[in-house]
Amino acid sequence: MEWLNWFSRPENTKPLALLIFFVTFVGIVLYVYGSKKRSKRLESYKDIPFQDDAPDNKD
Amino acid sequence: MAITTFSSAEQYNFDIVKKFAIMALVWAVVGMFAGVYIASELAWPFLNFDSPYISFGRLRPVHTSAVIFGFGGSALFATSYYVVQRTCQTRLISDGMASFTFWGWQTVIVLAALSYMAGYSQGREYAEMEWPIDILIEVVWVTYLILFVGTIMRRKQPHIYVANWFYLAFILATALLHTFNNLAMPVDLFSMKSYSLFSGTQDAMTQWWYGHNAVGFFLTAAFLGMMYYFVPKQAGRPIYSYRLSIVHFWALSFMYMWVGAHHLHWTALPDWTSTLAATFSILLLMPSWGGMINGIMTLSGAWDKLRTDPVMRFLIVALSFYGMSTFEGPMMSLKEVNALSHYTDWTVGHVHSGALGWVAMISFGSLYHMIPKLWDTKLYSTKLVEVHFWLATVGVLLYIIAMWVSGITQGLMWRALDEFGNLQYSFVESVAAMIPFYIMRAVGGAFFLTGTVVMVYNIFMTIRQAKQEEAVLEAKLAAKMANAGA
Amino acid sequence: MRINFKHEWIETNIGLMLVLTMLAISVGGLVEIAPLFFIKKTVENVEGINVRPYTPLELRGRDIYIREGCYTCHSQMIRPFVDEKLRYGHYSLAAESQYDHPFQWGSKRTGPDLARVGGKYSNEWHVQHLIAPRSMVPESVMPNYPWLMQLLDQSDIANRMKALRAVGVPYSLTEAEREANVKKFGAEVAAMLHIADAKKNLVEQANLGNYDGDRAGVSEMDALVAYLQVLGTMVDFTKVDADELVRSR
Repeated sequence: MEWLNWFSRPENTKPLALLIFFVTFVGIVLYVYGSKKRSKRLESYKDIPFQDDAPDNKD
Repeated sequence: MAITTFSSAEQYNFDIVKKFAIMALVWAVVGMFAGVYIASELAWPFLNFDSPYISFGRLRPVHTSAVIFGFGGSALFATSYYVVQRTCQTRLISDGMASFTFWGWQTVIVLAALSYMAGYSQGREYAEMEWPIDILIEVVWVTYLILFVGTIMRRKQPHIYVANWFYLAFILATALLHTFNNLAMPVDLFSMKSYSLFSGTQDAMTQWWYGHNAVGFFLTAAFLGMMYYFVPKQAGRPIYSYRLSIVHFWALSFMYMWVGAHHLHWTALPDWTSTLAATFSILLLMPSWGGMINGIMTLSGAWDKLRTDPVMRFLIVALSFYGMSTFEGPMMSLKEVNALSHYTDWTVGHVHSGALGWVAMISFGSLYHMIPKLWDTKLYSTKLVEVHFWLATVGVLLYIIAMWVSGITQGLMWRALDEFGNLQYSFVESVAAMIPFYIMRAVGGAFFLTGTVVMVYNIFMTIRQAKQEEAVLEAKLAAKMANAGA
Repeated sequence: MRINFKHEWIETNIGLMLVLTMLAISVGGLVEIAPLFFIKKTVENVEGINVRPYTPLELRGRDIYIREGCYTCHSQMIRPFVDEKLRYGHYSLAAESQYDHPFQWGSKRTGPDLARVGGKYSNEWHVQHLIAPRSMVPESVMPNYPWLMQLLDQSDIANRMKALRAVGVPYSLTEAEREANVKKFGAEVAAMLHIADAKKNLVEQANLGNYDGDRAGVSEMDALVAYLQVLGTMVDFTKVDADELVRSR
């Protein structure tokens, strides 16, 4: 468990947090916004809440 | 119309949603009344009436549990069951389990409130319930998880709508937090009293890991789930950006868990922990605002709805308060600011701008949208929704302004030194300076509570009206049948 | 090799989503909490710091402190600022709450910090102040606690200490444990920590201290005042090397 001590050094926490967060974040953003086709498909899901509306809307 | 109602009631389990929705309102009134009462106790201490059962220290957890777990929890059960069924287009997998979560959860809240008043408390904020109640919560929660996930597995819709992700993260995180924060050793099997497994610094870290994530997942992620369904539905247009919702879901789930230690700045907790927490708190601003922008921009191009639809106004003002308190939070987690704000009323004000402004308002908006649909009718009075909206808004503003002023005043008085380097004020002088703000806070709370009572009346009348409509319809049908027979 | 990842895998597979969400929410807690249990310096180990577990009477006082929700208005954690040093004393050490199950650092100072209230006021002051705070401090907003004069329930004191022993507090059950306590805390303290003598010790301390000013029976007031009077008194800061304290942080 010695390696855990690396986290205990205050000077390491900021770069660590930044690194972990940034890599993951960039990955997700690249994925989500990376391609037109994928974007289109993802955006199509926002209509789901309205798909069971048919009976509701008649009144 | 009667025919579609019948089929929709068959398709979905709305009965459980109705029960939880009604209990959400009941607990809102009880919890907020307790809140106004303890606020008044601080302004006028005679209100403690020398009674152990209603003294501030015992009544305060009654307030927090009733509003967070009673009102917030019931609203979340109601809306999550509603949303998961409608977006998956399937019925909950088990009516029995659903019913168990209802009775189990209501028992938890009642037992918790009674046990605090009787003097049983774990002494951990927002987790005061003693071990037998904790075990009941655990059982109810696991049932909830199975029910929710099982329903998703049976969905007719291939994609899982984003609101459900947030609900899922909330259920998972709450299970995790509840389990680890309540590890305790009972005095004996027949004693309500227990001692926590951890002590001192480790205990503090565990508690605030729990405490802040109760805010993060119970009071934020879950209500974002609510937002992702009810804002688009009420606006009649889809959410602004689905891609943004994906990005901010993962960022929020990942980052929230790091920030708890910002409640322990400048304490005996090792510095690196609270520094790390502060760093993540600042970063958290991004996903938080991602959610806010996504919700508010849903209205882009239809802003007039804000003027015409008071339910919409509840939802959007809730998002604005969410944006404000998620800006205030990271700011207060900066060590320098925290040195001033910690231990003062500023924290209390911050919590309430989130709890009243965001959590309660988004719940009110969602319930106003959902309840007429559940009972297949229209709201009894839109005018009363308007009245409720203004009472609530004025109430929140009075509350948080009072707490800002008193908090900052307190913080400054505590640290003020005179020219010789001595303390300028005694502690009790700072207490005396707070009284006007305590009164103002109680008044703000009373406004908010009054608004809630107006809502309860409006909902009561709505349901009554629905029952009358149903009776008329049935009478008509019976008459028709009789005619046809003759 | 091209990995054709689709977020839809997650969105359409509830199992995978469960796992990934669990992963995302676990990292923060693990990184921040786990090391606290392994790093020795989380709790200071410096010459002169000799914090002991609570005596049976103090322990029951602490239970009452928790029962009444004192933590909702009083903190027990002094921060390292000039004004707090002047008002309350030396900043709190992790070592001082190492036997506190649960911790009572608090989060709000509607009333003052109590981490070092021990010895600041007389027993009589505390008793009067708890029964009727405004008779001592007119501006106070604290509730009256007249019911603390009722008799203390001592019946399960041994069980309470056993439960605490199970979570790591060195109350002694066996002879070997008692001897270890003698070595660590001295004979006088070790005797107080022996579970078999819990009831006797509790009554003796209450009678000797006479905290509530009433020798007839042990009241809850006796216990609570005994607890308040010991808060923050276990470390003698005249004997602690300040530099070493800073280094151990």
